[in-house]
Amino acid sequence: MDLPRHFSRGILTAAAGFALLVLGAPSWVNAQGRAAWERIDAATELLDGATPRAGSIRLDLPAVTQDGSSVPVTVEVDHPMNPDDHVEALYLFAAGNPSPEVAEIHFTPLAGKARITTRIRLDGSQTVVALARTNRGEWLAGQRDVRVTVSGCLSQGNSSDNSDFMQARVRPPSRMAPGEPGEVRTLINHPMETGLRKNPDGSLIPERIIEEFRAELDGEKLLAARFHRAVSANPYLLFFVAPGRHGELALRWEEGEGAGESATATASIPD
Amino acid sequence: MDTTRMNRRRALKLMGAAGAGTLLAACGFPAFAGRSSPGRVAIVGGGFGGATAAKYIKRFAPSVDVMLVEPRERFYTCPFTNLYLGGMRDFESLGHDYRELRDRYGVRVIHAMAEDVDVPGRRLILAGGETVSWDRLILSPGIDFRWGELEGYDRAASEKAPHAWKAGSQTHLLRRQLEEMEDGGTFILVAPDDPFRCPPGPYERVSMVANYFKNHKPRSKVLLLDAKDNFSKQGLFMEGWRENYGDMIEWVGRSGDGRVIRVDADALEVETEFGEIHRASVLNVVPPQKAGFIADRAGVADESGWVPVNPRTFESRQVNGVYVIGDATQAAPMPKSGFVANTQAKVTARAVIADLAGDAPPEPHWVNTCYSVIAPDWGITVAGVYEVHDGELREVPGSGGVSPMDASPDFRRREARFAEAWYAAIAEDTWGTRPAV
Amino acid sequence: MKSYGGKTCGSRKARILGLSGCVAFACVIVAALASSGPEVSEDGDLLAERAEVIAQSCAACHGTGGRLDTAIPSLAGQPAAVLSAQLLAFKRDQMPGATVMPRLARGYSDEELEAVANYFASLTPDADE
Repeated sequence: MDLPRHFSRGILTAAAGFALLVLGAPSWVNAQGRAAWERIDAATELLDGATPRAGSIRLDLPAVTQDGSSVPVTVEVDHPMNPDDHVEALYLFAAGNPSPEVAEIHFTPLAGKARITTRIRLDGSQTVVALARTNRGEWLAGQRDVRVTVSGCLSQGNSSDNSDFMQARVRPPSRMAPGEPGEVRTLINHPMETGLRKNPDGSLIPERIIEEFRAELDGEKLLAARFHRAVSANPYLLFFVAPGRHGELALRWEEGEGAGESATATASIPD
Repeated sequence: MDTTRMNRRRALKLMGAAGAGTLLAACGFPAFAGRSSPGRVAIVGGGFGGATAAKYIKRFAPSVDVMLVEPRERFYTCPFTNLYLGGMRDFESLGHDYRELRDRYGVRVIHAMAEDVDVPGRRLILAGGETVSWDRLILSPGIDFRWGELEGYDRAASEKAPHAWKAGSQTHLLRRQLEEMEDGGTFILVAPDDPFRCPPGPYERVSMVANYFKNHKPRSKVLLLDAKDNFSKQGLFMEGWRENYGDMIEWVGRSGDGRVIRVDADALEVETEFGEIHRASVLNVVPPQKAGFIADRAGVADESGWVPVNPRTFESRQVNGVYVIGDATQAAPMPKSGFVANTQAKVTARAVIADLAGDAPPEPHWVNTCYSVIAPDWGITVAGVYEVHDGELREVPGSGGVSPMDASPDFRRREARFAEAWYAAIAEDTWGTRPAV
Repeated sequence: MKSYGGKTCGSRKARILGLSGCVAFACVIVAALASSGPEVSEDGDLLAERAEVIAQSCAACHGTGGRLDTAIPSLAGQPAAVLSAQLLAFKRDQMPGATVMPRLARGYSDEELEAVANYFASLTPDADE
């Protein structure tokens, strides 16, 4: 019964591969045969009759998560970012949240690639949907299912103190390969109160969120974002700057009505 | 309903009288693949999952041939290594052997490394080229590290900045570094994002290091840099740290720039996401993880690195006839704990036996209790009861939860005593280790 | 330091058995019931299987077959009425000084807890057979 030593691992792995059961339908079609964006009013309004090209936006988020209050998500639109043809806007929806709008990101070609990472709130297991519009008016779509499990294992520490409220952090690009867009990480300490939470006395805690975020490079628009209350506390946004750009990165977060915080950093991205 | 009743009767027939079976086994190992055997089950991994599965299959169905493949003759558990680091426990008390499984339950224990799985041929290939044939395979491979995913942290780096997240030489290395550290130094622990082995582990680890410092190096500091904003039993840990260690332990979460993105093991420095550099006297890095490598070889792990399973039986969703239990699986909301591996093993033992008999598995049911020891007289717990609901695993509503906040010193002391008792019990239940009286 | 020794008086199980409160008395009755033969209904058969599946999880703290006696008590061979009264008291938060058991007991129906009690009562306290 002993296997000859020359029986290669490759053959075994290939054979194991044949035994795999392939599960699941194409990711953009749900059990009812409809794309998830069709069930979101805000998305169909935005599309206004247009049919997006499915499968051209990649969403990266954990298949299963135990902390629905902060689910990391990376969205990348598979599309050029040159002045003639680029992604202009990216819209993120959580189909199963009380209000499905999560965030919208407006890009310029200066961003180098239409890719962002943020953290979002998900009210239970559901489908996260992304739509993108190019400057030529073309619509693209993508979606991903995520399961949110509840577990007593995660007890909130209620350790949030206000000492770092509105503290802005920025990490300019560093150590990237030449010719590659540079990565910018941003974060601001802010509770992103949804207006749905209650005080111990039962009264509602009023909604208070960062509504807008803007990034400029030497005064030139790079990216602007609109956050809804489904963006997690301490809004985090990772985005990119096209190669060959050097200058002063200026960031601005706003709660609305002018209250906000700013930060600057020097960015130098090799050609 | 009718089929379930039928199944129980047939399963009972198959299981036979446990006593008689054990007697037979004691008289010499049953003929390999003999006509009388309802099947051969190979199990990879002799930890909480694999050893329990081997024992319980033999308890439930002594005539099944069970082969347990585990390279070590003595297995040291990850649970309670923190108590060893904290000076509360002898390392040897964390070691367990396989004599009881072999001599008492008739498990054929093979001390070898499983290197590959030939799924179509239903064979396990061992280091050295020997093979083990199976009708059903259970993998309980634990975790492997994703070396290099955290920049600067590879296997070589772990010889200077240990992970100590598998029990053995790494645990001793960390203990030695703590002993050699000057009073007034800084211990830094780098905690990963979910999912990882033992969710409360990093927080118990810093508690036990603080316990050691309090007794031997009271001017020292403990800094926990975390990739997360929330962690297991958070409120209880923070209360326990404050009460037992004052401000010795500082925790920095992700939103406070606690997420480490680069490690320099030579300089004992780490760099956080927003560019802060922290220098340690002793640096302990818990790296990102994935299922043990044999899961990859068997083709059961998906692109996440972990193993998706059928929730009723823990049979792989990707490969028929291969069951996977323990830390390697995607079993949320069950945590990656030794307790869970032990409880999963028993459910899967029944499922495998039913499958060999051509029956449906019984309705599954799992439990977890994770004890964490913050100080010698300060224990805390999280517990959960789990079931399958609408085809998914979930915590039974209303069950489970953590120890109360602001509990009495007596409550905390009793949970610390129960932690020791739990360890004795699960070691007995898994390996048959008799507690020292 | 055992968390055992709770009252059985007034427990539902005790009432069902028509007992007025004496543990020893309950012991005798339950032992008599337990030895009264294998005639169980089909539903009882299912519940007994369920109890076995549930009980196997208890072993991680109480030892295989619930036979390990440490700071955490052994269960095998304890009177069913005592065990079930205690499990129900845990579930209803009526067990002073309880730690983790109430959180676990709330995961089960009363019938399941009683079946688990019967299962452990039916085991011999000696070594795993």
